[in-house]
Amino acid sequence: MSKVQSRFAKFKTTSDIGLRTLDLIIMNEIFRILGEPSRMFRAYLFAFWIAVLFLFWLFTPVQGMPYPSEVWEAFQRLFASNETNNLVLNTWVTLRLNIVGLFFATIISVFIAYLSCLPFLQPLNQILQWFRYLPVVAFNLVFLSIFTIGWSMKVAMLTAGMAFFLITSMTAVIGQIPKLRFELARVLNYSDWKTFWTVVVRPTLPAMIDVVAQSAAMGWVMIVAIETFNRTEGGIGASIYSYSATNQKAEVYVYLVIIGIIAILEDQFFYWLKRILFPYTTISERA
Amino acid sequence: MNDTDCIDGTLPTQAVLLEDLLTIDKVSKSFNLNNGKQLNVLSEVSLCIKNIQHKPQILSILGPSGGGKTTLLRILAGLDKPDSGNVSIHVGAGMRNVHIGDIGVVFQRYPLFDDRSVLQNLVEPAMNSGLNRNEAEIKATKFLQEFGLDNQLSSFPAQLSGGQRQRVAIAQQLIQDRHYIILDEPFSGLDPNNIHNVISLLQRIANQHSKNTFIIVTHDITSALIISDTVIILGKTSANEGSKIVKEYDMIGEGLAYQANIEDLPRFQQIRKEIKYVEFPKLVTQS
Repeated sequence: MSKVQSRFAKFKTTSDIGLRTLDLIIMNEIFRILGEPSRMFRAYLFAFWIAVLFLFWLFTPVQGMPYPSEVWEAFQRLFASNETNNLVLNTWVTLRLNIVGLFFATIISVFIAYLSCLPFLQPLNQILQWFRYLPVVAFNLVFLSIFTIGWSMKVAMLTAGMAFFLITSMTAVIGQIPKLRFELARVLNYSDWKTFWTVVVRPTLPAMIDVVAQSAAMGWVMIVAIETFNRTEGGIGASIYSYSATNQKAEVYVYLVIIGIIAILEDQFFYWLKRILFPYTTISERA
Repeated sequence: MNDTDCIDGTLPTQAVLLEDLLTIDKVSKSFNLNNGKQLNVLSEVSLCIKNIQHKPQILSILGPSGGGKTTLLRILAGLDKPDSGNVSIHVGAGMRNVHIGDIGVVFQRYPLFDDRSVLQNLVEPAMNSGLNRNEAEIKATKFLQEFGLDNQLSSFPAQLSGGQRQRVAIAQQLIQDRHYIILDEPFSGLDPNNIHNVISLLQRIANQHSKNTFIIVTHDITSALIISDTVIILGKTSANEGSKIVKEYDMIGEGLAYQANIEDLPRFQQIRKEIKYVEFPKLVTQS
């Protein structure tokens, strides 16, 4: 019999339900700093907060928020609409941009971040990190002069925008490698390149997945801005801009919900990827 | 790793000292502090470890915190360069200056490559010393069996206890067939029973080859006296000077080395008291 079950055994009638709930809350230490609720109770808490936020949305006094029923109706309209306004098509255009942009940004950033181990490239790395303060859409004309308007320009802008953040976070991960690990490799007679692979690259790859997952979320903020400036192919950003301009709040919220759902799926994908590729990271978390 | 010329227990005749294996000649080291002053850590430290016929060499370096033990360790391992003086080591046919990688180091917190299994933590260093993967795996498996870790081959370092981690760290340094190993505080944080186990393990490993030379840096007076053939005390006698070797105990000359019941011998207890109540109090401790 589990700890919780044995505690429940003393309750005999359904009138004890209040006591049961109180007992469950106390048992699960949810009001204790660094308390450790059971896995099941965490799921309940998660559902509880989703419900609270949904109720807030349902009964909000805030002007400018459509009701969930309006959003649902807008969803059905957009789903069934013609090609230009079609929800699936616009979502696909943006999702494809997100995936391709994130892919290129990750490749470029990994390359620059890891090679910052070479003193020659460290100043370049530092300068590129400063670029993250600059809004990428402000360079619209620069990108326009290099790329034709449309897909390639959007990919380039998103790649550049995300890469500046990725380089910063990835370089920070590399900077946190304990000096002792380098010394261990050195006393084991490892060459510079073997030390680089064994101490720098290999053990930091799981953390790099976390960094990419965080930047993927940031990428969605940029995508909306980029697609607003460059609306030739539609997409979620272009749609949000158009519907905001005509005060179609429900349609805007449909796309916000879509972004939220994609974000949750992306988060889960990166978590799964880390577990599959680097199973030892879950062991470290337990130990 | 095994060498039949090593004799277990006491030597049948008086110990015979052969060639020099490691010499430290007037090594000095100081560091520049942020306030512009200079901190002298080591002042002309000299020492010679000779090959003891039919026995491994085990030297313990005792001293208070801030007494330069770690600095000396790092210089011996080739991780830091001395300001003056030099460290020579017997490799192959004769003596030469020590290079990084000549001496293995078992660092205090037993760092391992956490993203690799226990077996891979040994296979990679073995391959780095010239073996192919198959040979390296056979050798690593044999080593881990000798160290009582054969049921942990596929475990990751995060799954090991402190004692198991220490054994893997020692095996990792020995698998490259080096005879020189420095152990930084191997008894730190262990209970008396585990200290006894570590002493037995180190004696057993050391006895596998008469050229095995272990240098143990420790605070633990009793353990150092039990395990060593030579014990030196490193420390500062004045605040402005660097540390020197202030006392050397020849445990063979004292008739204590290799004795099974060493702790019961009156001379052992006398030396332990002398170090604790006479030698250590003379030294300046780092405030």
